[in-house]
Amino acid sequence: MDRTSLQQLLQSHHREAYIWARQCCGFDSDLAKDILQLTYLKILEGKAKLSDPSKAKTWLFSVIRFTAVDELRKTGKTLPLDEDYELVDIPEEVDYTDYDAIIKLLPSMQQQVILMVFYHQMTIEQSAEVLQIQLGTARTHYARGKKKLKELILKSQTEANHGK
Amino acid sequence: MENDELIESFFEDMRTKDQNLEIPAFPKSKTRSINWLIPVGIAASLFLAGFLFYEKEPEMKAPAEVIIITLEQGPNQEQQFKITESTYLDTWESGTSSLLTEF
Repeated sequence: MDRTSLQQLLQSHHREAYIWARQCCGFDSDLAKDILQLTYLKILEGKAKLSDPSKAKTWLFSVIRFTAVDELRKTGKTLPLDEDYELVDIPEEVDYTDYDAIIKLLPSMQQQVILMVFYHQMTIEQSAEVLQIQLGTARTHYARGKKKLKELILKSQTEANHGK
Repeated sequence: MENDELIESFFEDMRTKDQNLEIPAFPKSKTRSINWLIPVGIAASLFLAGFLFYEKEPEMKAPAEVIIITLEQGPNQEQQFKITESTYLDTWESGTSSLLTEF
């Protein structure tokens, strides 16, 4: 794929790419901008190559995620790649309208699988490709993430109804 | 399915909120113009170097005038030189042609 086609491809996915970059770095908008710049550089300099144009979005999301992991590591904010610790406790108060905060209450891998499937309309198979994990593992993250998110949503809705 | 509806509704609301997100402008590629300038710069440098180091060979110009020196016999049978100037040479005689004709 030549440079012009790559630029057109990136431009067509720009909005979604930025939102995904932001989601990969804990909803930090400034860091997301840096990650996106680095991702575009990697791609346009040929350090990340698209082998199958039909999987452009999956590939772009994968490059963004790994760039985010590298940047978070550099800044000292580590992001577990394949671990899925169930250490996140549901807080006493959950604000339903603070969507970012609710998502952040999920373990990292569950967050990303759930975001890719429900927010970015991707399949579990595609999310497994982006995260470079087995499909079975992605399905487990998906099921656990969905269960935990449902609990959080219900809790926040109950609190909103009771006017807490 | 009920679970999915609840979650889908949550993400629908999240997407609506994200409509207000400030999306950075797509960066303009600068490297393309640099790539284009590199060969142009090299070509311009080579042209300039060639122009500066090229020495013109001196042109051989024909003299504006031709001096014709002839040896003629004067009225008192003496030999005398006759020098004439002309812009062209319509006849030319070898200096040793007399050796061919006088023997």
